[in-house]
Amino acid sequence: MQNRFDQARPFFTLGVVAVAWLVLPVFAKAFLRASFFEFTAPALVAPSYIRDLQEYWSLRLHTRTGLIEAGRDLARVNASYALSIQQNAELQAEVARLEGMLRMPARPQFRVEPARVVQRDFSAWWQRLVIRKGRDAGIEVGAPVVWAEGVVGRVSEVRAYTSVVELISNPGVRLAALVEGDPQPVSFQGGVNPAFGPARGTVEFVPLDVFAYPETPRKLVTSGLGGVFPAGLAIGKLVRVSPSSDGLFKTGEVQLDPRLSDLTEVSVLVPAGPAVP
Amino acid sequence: MRGGFLFFLTLLLLLALVAAANHALAHLHIYLFAGGLFAGTAAFLLPFGPGFAAVFASGLACDANAGVPFGTHALLFASVHAILFHFRDRLPHDLAAGRVLICLACNLALFLALTVQRAFLSPAPASEGYRVACDFVFSQVAIAVAGPWFYRLQRRALALARAEPAQSLL
Repeated sequence: MQNRFDQARPFFTLGVVAVAWLVLPVFAKAFLRASFFEFTAPALVAPSYIRDLQEYWSLRLHTRTGLIEAGRDLARVNASYALSIQQNAELQAEVARLEGMLRMPARPQFRVEPARVVQRDFSAWWQRLVIRKGRDAGIEVGAPVVWAEGVVGRVSEVRAYTSVVELISNPGVRLAALVEGDPQPVSFQGGVNPAFGPARGTVEFVPLDVFAYPETPRKLVTSGLGGVFPAGLAIGKLVRVSPSSDGLFKTGEVQLDPRLSDLTEVSVLVPAGPAVP
Repeated sequence: MRGGFLFFLTLLLLLALVAAANHALAHLHIYLFAGGLFAGTAAFLLPFGPGFAAVFASGLACDANAGVPFGTHALLFASVHAILFHFRDRLPHDLAAGRVLICLACNLALFLALTVQRAFLSPAPASEGYRVACDFVFSQVAIAVAGPWFYRLQRRALALARAEPAQSLL
């Protein structure tokens, strides 16, 4: 009898642990998850600091002539940006004046929080980034994350000094989008991530009069509906559409920017409260 | 218990190394999954209790750093550990090749379990086949290469903790 129990002990223990885990309260699991994340965070963040140090020492190897040339190029870019900032301020003032005249509701305001990418975690099952800013920078769950060319994703977890970002190529990410030049919103979902190639997404509820081909792709941008992402941010290129099974709409394939896989720095748009109308 | 804790630390080291490798491979859209190494060695190096605790805790650490419901890796790793411990006398774990084969088989089972669980979330599960196959092949190659080194590392760590596995198992 004792021998039989010894033989079954591994499975008995496994069963007890599995049942205990199933009945464990959600808050206890959330606490354990946060604890394990924070416990392992230093081991995962340390390599990013080492990479920064490597980059610093490689930059130190640049010649003075190279630095002077880079500074000159940067001054030119800064001059063009300074002009754009002036034009942008004028346009914003004009938009605010028109919104006031039309009594339109105020749009959400964001504070831009740049953050270094600590870890890229791109499996077939999930697509995530860990960034080096968390509660210490006021980042909130659900905050949109962008880069110079458009949308990166949204914050799914916030920890003390790090946050987890779900990429738009993640199967669970859905957002309302617009095909540029068409006012009707479509539904974008990430999730097709082939090996050795850029990630792709899918769109649903595309109007029948929208056409796109690999030779003449259409730009897909955020619609601003839902209040999470500001309107007009690039998501990807709509490269193919085909009629859906119900015949009322089309479904399409979206090519995402391949540089999403090499991101080293992103910006989190932290909600800054409602704007004053 | 000291041996179990040291064993857990070696699994944390593995977690950090796999994360660094996946970060470097991200631009190729290749992902290494090393579940077989997390769950496939404790049964031959530690008594059941400390081994189970170390494997379960390492699964929780994996869960905290992955996009799956918390506890998924932990319960899968614990299941593999329990099965391996039950059959350990019948498995060829004395030879390095045998241990690698066991880890590869464990990795296959864990990889399939996770794939089935996550396939429901994909908008086009059929089109993920190529990616899943590539990830699996590269993961198996990585385990075959790193497996013997990792097993020796764990043995050396247990020897340092004076929790030599052979006596404690019998």
